[in-house]
Amino acid sequence: MLKTTVVVIGGGATGVGILRDLSMRGVDAILVERDDLGYWTSSRFHGLLHSGGRYAVKDKEAAKECIQENTILRRIGRHCVEATESLFVRAPEDSEEFEQEWVKSCGECGISAIPISMDEAFKLEPNLSRKLLSAYRCPGAAIDGFRLLWQTVASANKYGGKAMTYKEVTAIETENGTVVGVKIRDKWTGVEDKIACDFVISAAGSFAGEVAHMAGLTVNVKPSKGTLIAFNHRICNRVVHRLHKSSDADIFVPHGSITILGTTSIDSAPDDTSTETAEVKAMLEIGKITFEEIYDYRILRVFAGTRPLYSADPNAKGRSASRGFVALDHAHDGIKHFMSVCGGKFTTYRLMAEKVCNIVCEQLGVNEKCHTAEENLVDDPSPELMNRAKAVFPSYGAELASSRLGNEKLERVIKHIETDPEMKELVCECENVTLAEIDEIAAEPTSHTVSDVRRRTRLGMGTCQGTFCAYRSVGAINKENMPWAKDSVDLLKDFLETRWKGIRPVLWGNMLRDIELTRAIYDAALNLSGVEDIK
Amino acid sequence: MKKCDILIIGNGVAGLFAACVAADRGKKVQILSYGAGTLTIGGGIIDVLGYDDQGKFVSDPLKGMESMSPEHPYAKTGPKIAKEAIDSFLKITEAEGYPYLGSADKNMWLPTAMGNFKPTCLVPRTMDASALFKAKNILVVGFDTMKDFYAEMATRNLRERFGADKSVEEFVVKLNFEYGRDLRDISAMDVARWLETDEGHQAFVAQVKSHVKADTAIVLPPVLGLEPNYEVLDSLQKELGCPLVEMSSLPPAVTGTRLNKMLHSYAKKHGVQIIEKARVVGSEIVDGKCLAVITEGFDRQRKFYADQFILATGGVYGGGITTQIGTMTEPIFNISIKVPEVQTDWSYKQLFADKKQIFAQYGVKVDENLTPVAADGSKPASNVKVAGRSLAGYDFCYEKSGNGVALITAYKAAAAFCGEA
Repeated sequence: MLKTTVVVIGGGATGVGILRDLSMRGVDAILVERDDLGYWTSSRFHGLLHSGGRYAVKDKEAAKECIQENTILRRIGRHCVEATESLFVRAPEDSEEFEQEWVKSCGECGISAIPISMDEAFKLEPNLSRKLLSAYRCPGAAIDGFRLLWQTVASANKYGGKAMTYKEVTAIETENGTVVGVKIRDKWTGVEDKIACDFVISAAGSFAGEVAHMAGLTVNVKPSKGTLIAFNHRICNRVVHRLHKSSDADIFVPHGSITILGTTSIDSAPDDTSTETAEVKAMLEIGKITFEEIYDYRILRVFAGTRPLYSADPNAKGRSASRGFVALDHAHDGIKHFMSVCGGKFTTYRLMAEKVCNIVCEQLGVNEKCHTAEENLVDDPSPELMNRAKAVFPSYGAELASSRLGNEKLERVIKHIETDPEMKELVCECENVTLAEIDEIAAEPTSHTVSDVRRRTRLGMGTCQGTFCAYRSVGAINKENMPWAKDSVDLLKDFLETRWKGIRPVLWGNMLRDIELTRAIYDAALNLSGVEDIK
Repeated sequence: MKKCDILIIGNGVAGLFAACVAADRGKKVQILSYGAGTLTIGGGIIDVLGYDDQGKFVSDPLKGMESMSPEHPYAKTGPKIAKEAIDSFLKITEAEGYPYLGSADKNMWLPTAMGNFKPTCLVPRTMDASALFKAKNILVVGFDTMKDFYAEMATRNLRERFGADKSVEEFVVKLNFEYGRDLRDISAMDVARWLETDEGHQAFVAQVKSHVKADTAIVLPPVLGLEPNYEVLDSLQKELGCPLVEMSSLPPAVTGTRLNKMLHSYAKKHGVQIIEKARVVGSEIVDGKCLAVITEGFDRQRKFYADQFILATGGVYGGGITTQIGTMTEPIFNISIKVPEVQTDWSYKQLFADKKQIFAQYGVKVDENLTPVAADGSKPASNVKVAGRSLAGYDFCYEKSGNGVALITAYKAAAAFCGEA
């Protein structure tokens, strides 16, 4: 049995933010996540660090929070942020009155919105539709969800905070109306354990209702599914928003060599991450207003996540429900020291954590103030370390590896390559992932599948979407010392099927060509699915 | 513009073989080619029919063809034509000094880069896996800086499969190439080129020889030379005193390159004219007959006239079929292919679904003479025949029938245009 002060349920942005905040205030905390960190909503979004511009008209409070947190995250999480800035563009379909109101609101919220001529806009973003009418530069940015989560946990670790993945909470235990612990089960081994604690915070996002149910309570989460399209092109260098009342498919976010378009809003089950061709078609039609050539861009994959919208009113739906968050103290429902956190935005994950931890600390009698905005998530690598990195990674890969790995692991990976130059091999050319990096991450106790390694390293997430590196990554992982990576055929199938899920709804054009190549390699040449019947 | 007898669009296995067959029969043949074709991506082995519709292994492909669904290309050709086609292909390989092994009525098992096995029908002598099953010891040979082959994985899977029956060991050859080694950027093509040199040959023998015990067979990725001959194989086997077997592996395909070179060589020797960079964009059809196909280059459109045409442009991957949301088209003769409107109806939920993938079977429908049939049942051009991957009705990956369908339909199309049934 483990013992701690606070158990945080859920390894999304909210949960890791709370873990870091508590740890920095000196409160013992353990985070438990049923899957991998960021497996659900915290990676299934645009990867957008809001400037607040999107909320300026409708919700000034949210807009102000966004710009404040945007400024903080650019500083403390700079290795996760691609500071692209954003462009708000108005199309002929969009209201001019709204534009005026928006400009005024941005001013009131302290969001810089610099008007530029369309000539300049087209110079900055040559792919923009020539029909667009006005453009403003705002301080939005792209952010890597997986990385932010792992780095937030790394920061919490420094203060004693622990995160455990693949641990499902099976019961919340109470005595005399007060929480005393949780029961957990390991997804891979099935081994059950207990964590005794004084406080439980459920940050289970769309699953908050299910977690509350374990304690016999009701929490009204209305999961709302958003579909996203990843294109195999850097369509724009900046985040591009439509300047209108927030709607579907009106945000493009560039990430490295790809661009993500989102999103939609459909009531759904919490674990529904399916996507339909019809949604993609509708999104492309809308996206065409911003980028006219949109049908010519190859789609890498489509994916979906669910927003954990909270609604006290069980009839509230979709986009109109508040994007703000609520912290429900279940003392009001008869269980003390149990809290559910619902809703919220990725951009403001730190602030949410701060507010929640203020309440929790008060109840625990802890007086320490929040320090999370003051300290960087990870230290910058020293110039000496970066020089060593540049000597062993391909030119573009040094920065990538450094921001993915953090200093400690980066140094180990560099050393590995320095002593064994063959570890320099690029397993994933699209994302510049070396064999040494895969070796390092695959050996971590948190790695159980190729997908776990993929989320940490971006292996197979680039333009070839794993066609070539599927074989390579399995070949690299399938080693004697890697107990979870024994069955190479199964590993390969898992990897390819996971990828297929995102391609199936967009099986036309180059996406279909790529799948034909994948099948030619893995089924025709390597006979992944055929039975052997050798006499 | 001079008119030829038979104009073939496409220079993959189907196009090249159709050209060879027609040229053999005295026809004046032209090939319009655009790009390298998928031959250098796929391998040089000839899968004819490895699995039936239920996924059951087919030991005799000719026999297996008797129970094909009527939509399948083999249902249009039948086993007799198939046998003639395969025999004719084998004759070409002999004439070119690169004879293939196997026959149309028997499948064999070939090791793959995973360390498992796949069924196939005809292989070059560099892939004669019977040696592997006979030998007591297997030595898996990899190359330290070569991309896309992991000797350790192949060794482990082979060891697991053979258990106590055989000893399976691994040996990794050090390449010491001056270039590319840091990023493991050396491909099987580079190694194949190296093994064709004296230096490469000697280095390989020097490193491997001491690891060859009595009764050993060596398996390695396809690297035994880029030319369609057995010089590298024979000399290495002689010096090492044991058989060498190439595996079925990932692109780039060394064995496909050899097959490509061999077919080109034969076609050219027999007077086939190959016109490169000729991207065919359309056709001129009058009274249900094709007069010419139209190519588009940097400067202008050109027309190529012929009496008869063979469409061997490949499938979706090769560019012979184009798709958009909810539509699929053969662009040269503008044949629209019937597909479901909703994209998710094109496929099963699993990519490897233990049955033929739905989209894999989409393609140009043909009658029993391989003449294209449009969605409304009409025949756009009576003097056109279709061969290879653009055909509807089969899944080459699931069935393991890729180059077999290409050869057999190409043979039937060409032979029919030469007046044979």
